[in-house]
Amino acid sequence: MVHVFQVKGHWYLFDTGSSSLHECDEKGALLMREKLGEKVDVSHITEKERAEYEEDFAELEREGLLFKEEEKTAPVKSKEVKALCLHICHDCNLRCRYCFADEGAYHSRREFMSLETAKKAIDFLIENSGNRRILETDFFGGEPLLNFDVVKETVYYAKEQAAKRGKKFLFTLTTNGLLLKDDIADFLNREMENVVLSLDGRKEVHDAVRKTANGKGSFDLVIENLKNFVKIRGDKHYYVRGTFTAKNPDFSKDVLFLADNGFDSISMEPVVTDIPDLAITKEMLPRIGQEYDALCDAYLEYMAKGKGFNFFHFNVDLEGGPCLAKRVSACGAGNEYFSVVPNGDIYPCHQFAGDPAFRMGSVYEGKLDEKIRSKFRDSCLFTRKKCENCFAKFICSGGCSANNYHFNGDINEPYEITCEMMKKRTEDAMHILAEKKRLGRA
Amino acid sequence: NKIKTIAHPAERKVTGCGECC
Repeated sequence: MVHVFQVKGHWYLFDTGSSSLHECDEKGALLMREKLGEKVDVSHITEKERAEYEEDFAELEREGLLFKEEEKTAPVKSKEVKALCLHICHDCNLRCRYCFADEGAYHSRREFMSLETAKKAIDFLIENSGNRRILETDFFGGEPLLNFDVVKETVYYAKEQAAKRGKKFLFTLTTNGLLLKDDIADFLNREMENVVLSLDGRKEVHDAVRKTANGKGSFDLVIENLKNFVKIRGDKHYYVRGTFTAKNPDFSKDVLFLADNGFDSISMEPVVTDIPDLAITKEMLPRIGQEYDALCDAYLEYMAKGKGFNFFHFNVDLEGGPCLAKRVSACGAGNEYFSVVPNGDIYPCHQFAGDPAFRMGSVYEGKLDEKIRSKFRDSCLFTRKKCENCFAKFICSGGCSANNYHFNGDINEPYEITCEMMKKRTEDAMHILAEKKRLGRA
Repeated sequence: NKIKTIAHPAERKVTGCGECC
């Protein structure tokens, strides 16, 4: 399959079978669209020009870089568990309007994970990790820092147990920043491989949705903590992660606000909610597409000025990216990645936590519901029929199972609104890759 | 001379090792 697209006056051909990106001019794009069966006006293209393009198309095809047949590699079928999300605390010190976790409580009672349960979860991960050496644990909530002592002791316990078994843990923690200071900040900086900091951008945008329990905005309470943490973080991994909603379709301004305030590793995600005044609707997609283009422009402008930043969705690795088996099997939720809630129950991922239909067992039982597990293991790019004719399928891997289920009732039925945004971001990411190549920066 | 290749993958020798939301 060949996808023809244009970003900022540049025309591109993306070959899904070979994962190759080519640049041409408008005439080349028109001839390719004609070749793909579209009715286009090519009357202004001379026979000589047509012959030259056809020669190039043929050469690329001979080299396996155009119209390459897509391989049907089997997904990763491993039975090893490699990552756990620990819901260390089902409570939160904020009341964000869009929170899928029901203000941290996950539609259940507010609850902290005990150290005993956390240790059981670590034991479960190690016992079920087979030969895998690198294991991952995410501390999640709610707000995990409300239960910081358990976070700390769990890290020490996991490292101790891993050393005995020749394994190593990579830890991640997601926080709203309210408690991110002093000893807590030092500990996280030392022990976490990655820290995800929640901040939505401009003060008025952040405060409109991320409120304290008494209904006040939280921006002023977190901004200095987050800035200070990023200063001590140095070159180590972190992401400032914002959420945009229907209230700020001009979210590129929020990304740039973050960049201007010293955050150079940024992610800005579309809200996933059905709250009417916040939800992204189909009608909004053209506006959001324009905004991604505006962000793409600004990203390149900042890079040219030496003020470049990392934007999560504008990274695409077409040359050394993951193998096909990984691209087909995606995130691994429900098969090699699970979440554990405070009482020790196990779910396919944090987005399924608390749904009785997806309870897979408990760290106290030590085994998993194989019926649910096989449902997730067997779900892959090729079971998502809507993805068949999508150019981005080997880049997005068929979308998020949880979004698919919550909006369409089926983990194999991609959620169209997310798909459209993914496709737009992918086109912009490819344009950025081409620009970086032109500038010798990739 | 009409089309420029921006990127294409190197030969992929390793698949499905599982070592890599």
